[in-house]
Amino acid sequence: MSNAKERKHAKKMRNQPTNVTLSSGFAAERSMKHHIGGGKPFNAQKQEPHSGTTRQRQTRMTPHSLSEPDGNELCSSKVTFKKKGGWKAGPEGTSQEIPKYITASTFAQARAAEIRAMLKAVTQKSSNSLVFQTLPRHMRRRAMSHNVRRLPRRLQEMAQKEAEKAVHQKKEHSKNKCHKARRCHINRVLEFNRRQKKNMWLETHIWHAKRFHMVKKWGYCLGERPTVKSHRACYRAMTSRCLLQDLSYYCCLELKGKEEEILKALSQMCSMDTGLTFAAVHCLSGKRQGSLMLYRANKYPREVLGPATFIWRAETTPGDPSESRQLWIWLHPTLKQDILEEIKTVCQCTEPIRPTLGIPDPLQTQSQEKNQAELPEEQIGKKRKRKDNGEIVKPIKKVIGDGTRDPHQPYAWLSLTTGILISDLTTEMNRFRLIGPLSHSILTEALKAAAVHTEGQDTEETPHHWWMEACKNPDSVCLHRKQEAVFELLGGITSPAEIPAGTVLGLTIGDPRINLPQKRTKASTNPEKCLDNEKVRQLLLEGVPVECTHSFIWDQDICKSVTENKIPDQDLNRMRSELLVPGSQLVLGSRESKIPILLIQQPGRVTGEDRRGWGSGWDVLLPKGWGMAFWIPFIYRGARVGGLKETVVHSQYKRSPSIPGDFPDCPAGILFAEEQAKNLLEKYKRRPPAKRPNYVKLGTLAPFCCPWEQLAQDWESRVQAQDESSIASSPDGEESDLSSGDEVLGAAEPATGPQLSDDVGTSAFDPKEPEEGMDTECQVQAGPERVKDLGSGENCAAAPGGQLCVLRSRKLLKRLSAWCGPSSEDGRAARRAPCRRQEELTREAWLPILEHFPRALVWVSLSLLGKGSPEPHTMICIPAQEDFLRLREDRRYCGPQEPKHRDPFKSKILKQKEKKKLEKRKQRGCATSMDLAGGDPVARQEALPLGLWSGPLPAVTTHCSRVLLGFVTQGDFSMAVGCGEALGFVSLTGLLHVLASQPAAERGLVLLRPPASLQYRFARIAIEV
Amino acid sequence: MAENREPRGPVEAELDPVEYTLRKRLPHRLPRRPNDIYVNMKTDFKAQLARCQKLLDGGARGQNACTEIYIHGLGLAINRAINIALQLQAGSFGSLQVAANTSTVELVDELEPETDAREPLTRIRNNSAIHIRVFRVTPK
Repeated sequence: MSNAKERKHAKKMRNQPTNVTLSSGFAAERSMKHHIGGGKPFNAQKQEPHSGTTRQRQTRMTPHSLSEPDGNELCSSKVTFKKKGGWKAGPEGTSQEIPKYITASTFAQARAAEIRAMLKAVTQKSSNSLVFQTLPRHMRRRAMSHNVRRLPRRLQEMAQKEAEKAVHQKKEHSKNKCHKARRCHINRVLEFNRRQKKNMWLETHIWHAKRFHMVKKWGYCLGERPTVKSHRACYRAMTSRCLLQDLSYYCCLELKGKEEEILKALSQMCSMDTGLTFAAVHCLSGKRQGSLMLYRANKYPREVLGPATFIWRAETTPGDPSESRQLWIWLHPTLKQDILEEIKTVCQCTEPIRPTLGIPDPLQTQSQEKNQAELPEEQIGKKRKRKDNGEIVKPIKKVIGDGTRDPHQPYAWLSLTTGILISDLTTEMNRFRLIGPLSHSILTEALKAAAVHTEGQDTEETPHHWWMEACKNPDSVCLHRKQEAVFELLGGITSPAEIPAGTVLGLTIGDPRINLPQKRTKASTNPEKCLDNEKVRQLLLEGVPVECTHSFIWDQDICKSVTENKIPDQDLNRMRSELLVPGSQLVLGSRESKIPILLIQQPGRVTGEDRRGWGSGWDVLLPKGWGMAFWIPFIYRGARVGGLKETVVHSQYKRSPSIPGDFPDCPAGILFAEEQAKNLLEKYKRRPPAKRPNYVKLGTLAPFCCPWEQLAQDWESRVQAQDESSIASSPDGEESDLSSGDEVLGAAEPATGPQLSDDVGTSAFDPKEPEEGMDTECQVQAGPERVKDLGSGENCAAAPGGQLCVLRSRKLLKRLSAWCGPSSEDGRAARRAPCRRQEELTREAWLPILEHFPRALVWVSLSLLGKGSPEPHTMICIPAQEDFLRLREDRRYCGPQEPKHRDPFKSKILKQKEKKKLEKRKQRGCATSMDLAGGDPVARQEALPLGLWSGPLPAVTTHCSRVLLGFVTQGDFSMAVGCGEALGFVSLTGLLHVLASQPAAERGLVLLRPPASLQYRFARIAIEV
Repeated sequence: MAENREPRGPVEAELDPVEYTLRKRLPHRLPRRPNDIYVNMKTDFKAQLARCQKLLDGGARGQNACTEIYIHGLGLAINRAINIALQLQAGSFGSLQVAANTSTVELVDELEPETDAREPLTRIRNNSAIHIRVFRVTPK
């Protein structure tokens, strides 16, 4: 044995226990060394009960892990490790250490323990790697992980086990089809149809699924946000380019019948107070899209159902009262069920209409589907025969439109008394939204008006008979030309905000796939088109003429024919490839599809002073089946696609409420809030207590939901207490009462009390002053009367005062918004609002409002003065007098801090835990003797999450050092303004009190505090109408 | 509603807020070239001045420098547009010249009805605007 080899061996054996080398003697040791060094099989070891080489190898591979667990045992059996390089000194040293005699039993015991330890170490695989990964390189084979038999036989057993474990973790593949079969078109379509049974897919689903995080929401599969990092890019697209969204999940209800009857029925569901209704003149003519709030019939200020937009079909013969009109109401899917039921009852539409032949029978298609689904399963293993059956199976079609609709459920209802027909047109149409200034150029570039069918062309070939018919009529040809001209004018207008809000334009266009550019291009406004001529001026001033709103999309039969006669992409591509000159324009002539569409202008930001027209754009309505044919051309013109998150951002920057999150009084909004609270709580619980905020200590009572009811109730009772105290005693009594209740308002009150009385004194122009100024006891008695005469109808007076509602009366909101602004001394504001002077913030002015809406919320927008970006559930609080003082001293003062609260639950939870532990120990101690089922109820009840308020909430308004006014529902740093912005609701009662108590210069200042922070920050409140 | 009891001032007659709400529409805009600058009152004055200067100076070695820029101001922003142009000129040691043009811009005011029975109206209002061309002259 050479020196080098010895050294190498010594290095390897460094950590081996001495006795191993000892017991086997030098010869055995040498042989072992050989084996270890060269890896040759050794006969003597094969006789061992277990497969020796494996063990050997494993020992070799994990010398350290082996030696350590063994260490204890070996030491206990009084065996020592050799020192470094011990092997060399071994033979000499042994002579001294050899005992004179050994007791057989103890020796055997010690050896047995050693062997046991070794066996254990050998059988347990200590490393994380799989069996085949531990093989030396020269023994590795291709696809070992896939095929167990490629491993050496002795390892196969272990590998098998590992493979089984891995299989369990993997997703189950359909066993009966190979990859190729699964990719086969028919099978794919079947699979797709199966997968969209529960959650419906939009037509652009597959496009989205490749690029978006998908969520299952509202019965649809929707793209939530792009997988690429694109928050800012999407914002830029909205402001300066074009953002595209698929809104096909919006639901459309169609009402057909006499105008008079429809208006009469629907007028119960809306109120003039909230703005224009279905009867607005310009909407009724079909010229504009309208939007409104729907309520349960005759319940106006309460029981809101949700917002909706609507379009009337333009009359064909204006002024004919007997004509049947068509109305489309577009709704968010969460609101659909409630509103549909309400409309049905209002219109007395009880007679369901079974699907006729005109509409494809979902029953039939489903049974077909089932047959088709069963067929391939029968033929497992008979691959060859498939082809014959393939011909029969061929009519499989992709589910277009609503595949999830329950076949037994009718979706059209007729009223026998009023003659109104309601049908649910959900997913019968596609709705794409283009937001941003470039949407005009994208639209005009991507869509080209259809060619008019001339008599000369042969009529046999075309499947588009409806268009031929239309072209025979010179009037409709003329109309088509007119529409085309208007549409072309749009290309020269640089922003959709310049066009009257809600303009509707109908159009019939050619197949958008025909003139698809080769590559993705970026559309830009063509300066040549931007003529400043009379026509453009006309369009900007008066909008699209009424007759141009006509579109064939209103006609169900035409839509159906358009959907059915679509040339498949495959055929179109084939035709394109057969062109003589590659890349030249494909001319289909009369075979080219003509698609009726409807364009609707969406007004962007219309309220408020700044960023007017931000986020305006166009909605495109298409017949179903044509989604992708329009989607790709839009994208090829440079539109960026956004998902649901972008919708929320859009509504937030536009400062408009998002559906359904910002409608806390409608059923869908309540449901949404509950779900959100549940999700947030789950997310919160996933973190360890030390790594999550303790909301009790932070003084946040409800970090995951907004207790609107309690907020409104608290404010109502506060005001009542205040009033009563003021009735009972002099102003100082009121003060003392307040200061006992809470210090903050008490501190603010001395300033306000005199001011209020001043106001009463100075409101000389008020003719009703004597009445209003009467003693307060009379005021209380006069309350109900006033409510009655103030109410717009008996329904208002009848409505229960105790219910929560959101203030949506435009008149009141306008007044509030005037009060909210700082009625400052600077000239501009004063000049701008001379009419505001008439309604000064007096007690007389706001008392009637309060009596009418004792528990109401007001939608407000807040913008932070300095730092900070609010998040949802941020608390809106009233600043104390001292905060104003400090702000006045230091303009950059960022705000007060909330003192830390005590957590009374922490000790309880800890105690509970201790108890549980004790009990567990007891259980272990006397496991069988005790009857544990009837154990301590405290231990049985679910453990409270640490850091959350448990049990019913205390008074929400006065829990913190600043009085709570409301909550934020949406909030973030706004890239459009460059500071934090929030939207939320405040209690109307609270708001009026705050406004009255604040000095004029600082009116409208509030404090915001996020749920996980102690820092308050100043923000300015604004109400935009 | 509550308005019935509200005192009505004399100012109300000039713009009937009960029937209509005034919404100002965006001014009609022509497509913007890279060397067009629209001055507004929202953005900080210094920032706007710096933006113009940057356009005239170009990149680090003067690449992509515009030989002329157009500064547009509308209404209240006319003052500011003039101010920016003059500041540019003053800071250029005689290498920049200005040439101003004035014009009138038609603005559209939309009157949104508050009651169903009324049609929306539009009013045309004129406002003055200024377009200042700031250009480089080769010093003689």
